[in-house]
Amino acid sequence: MKIRTMKYMVKEGFANTYKNLLMTIASVSMVVASLLIFGIFLMFTINLSFNLNRLKSQTEIVVFLKSDVAVMEADDIELKIESDERVANYIRLSKEQAFAQLATTYIEDLEIIEGLTPEFLNESFRIHLNNPDDISEFTEELSEMNGVEEISYPMESLNKLSTLMHWVNVGSMVVLALLLIISVSIISNTIKLTVYARRREIGIMKYIGAKDWFIRGPFVIEGMIIGLVGAILSFVLTSYFYNAVSTFVNTNAVEYGLNDLVRMVSLSNIGGQIFLIYSIIGMVMGLIGSFISVRKYLNV
Amino acid sequence: MIEFKDVTKYYPNGAIGLDNVSFKIEKGEFVFIVGHSGSGKSTLLKLILHEETPSSGEVYVNEFAIHDMLKSEIPYLRRGLGVVFQDFRLLPNKTVYENVAFAMQIVEAQPKDIRRQVPVALALVGLSKKARSYPNQLSGGEQQRVAVARALVNNPSILIADEPTGNLDPETSWEIMDLIEEINQRGTTVIVATHEKNIVDQMKKRVFNLEYGKITRDVLEGNYTNED
Repeated sequence: MKIRTMKYMVKEGFANTYKNLLMTIASVSMVVASLLIFGIFLMFTINLSFNLNRLKSQTEIVVFLKSDVAVMEADDIELKIESDERVANYIRLSKEQAFAQLATTYIEDLEIIEGLTPEFLNESFRIHLNNPDDISEFTEELSEMNGVEEISYPMESLNKLSTLMHWVNVGSMVVLALLLIISVSIISNTIKLTVYARRREIGIMKYIGAKDWFIRGPFVIEGMIIGLVGAILSFVLTSYFYNAVSTFVNTNAVEYGLNDLVRMVSLSNIGGQIFLIYSIIGMVMGLIGSFISVRKYLNV
Repeated sequence: MIEFKDVTKYYPNGAIGLDNVSFKIEKGEFVFIVGHSGSGKSTLLKLILHEETPSSGEVYVNEFAIHDMLKSEIPYLRRGLGVVFQDFRLLPNKTVYENVAFAMQIVEAQPKDIRRQVPVALALVGLSKKARSYPNQLSGGEQQRVAVARALVNNPSILIADEPTGNLDPETSWEIMDLIEEINQRGTTVIVATHEKNIVDQMKKRVFNLEYGKITRDVLEGNYTNED
């Protein structure tokens, strides 16, 4: 496309949005509303997945050995763990060490463990894996070894979180689709006003021999302006509120007993990504909206 | 230049636009198309412009086969055709100069060509002095001259005028017809659909008479009606 044609289209596109200022504002507001609702879902998904991964990477597999395990068997198990590439790090806790750890935990209420001797406790391995996804495979292999009594890790809660995340993802896609349809129809109605006001001009252009894309260009620009302005406003609003919420949660989590459990991703890490997603969705809305509205008048 | 071969056009509602029409218009000819409303004049012009396509038969305009061409070729077909309408169809928010230049802009002409050719077209129609006026500051005849300038500025080989004098008084009508004849003498093929008996009778050009979708008369140097 020639540069002066581009210039013509951009100029006309801006003129169109300005001439229809009220409807343009209405459309932009709709884009903003849609993106904000979608944004809530998006933030929820991002943070859920962030926390899920955090929890997974913190997940500790505890392998308890039988109390009457032979030293040979225990050494075999350690060898297996040590040589396994999936293991990030591990600690072998003897009965005495386990007892000492317990004693430290209950240092203020020692009567709880009164009468307990290291002999009651089992030797154990505390293992962290490189990739949390290997957990079930890895634990299955270990459980088949002689001398292993029990393996514990917080699988169930992780699975629940994964399922929740899946449904949040599905939900946000459905919401996005619905909002997309609504926004597109409102944008296309706005542009239809411009198209209607300029239908004579379009007719003349068709008779003189303008190509369809030349006629469509300014309206496409108009739609994209609406979408982009909507995206920028939504981004500003989202950033402001997200920043407030995430700062509050991250500084007060400990105070509210959430301890290390929940953290929110900081805005600086996802800001660019959100802006990109918003812009793309906004412009796609504008693009589709403008195509719908011009189509009818191009068939001359 | 323009050739219709056994062309029939039905509309979806069953109305007949053209009924088995054949004719040939050579380069440089001047043809009047006369007939009552609904006789098929508009259909004939619409087929030349590819606003409609024939139900059967073949239509050739310049190097294009209207009955068998891609939608994407339509702009190129129309760039070879200049069109003038009864209601002028100027853009009210553009000056005379801008209205004519617009026709060149939308076919993506070079800016230097636009600056050179628009004044030439305006001079041809005698409106150089009104270049900065807006359409609503002009008389009907002047507006139609602007429309003619716009139709010609891209140097089409065929000029199509649909009732070009329908909104004008007799004197102004003659001015426009003189202008169109002058354009024809410069080599442009001209097709004029009209109801104006006076004009047709005096100009002694080729005349097609259409009735109920058929060409009932095709005479050189003819009159509006048969009674000579």
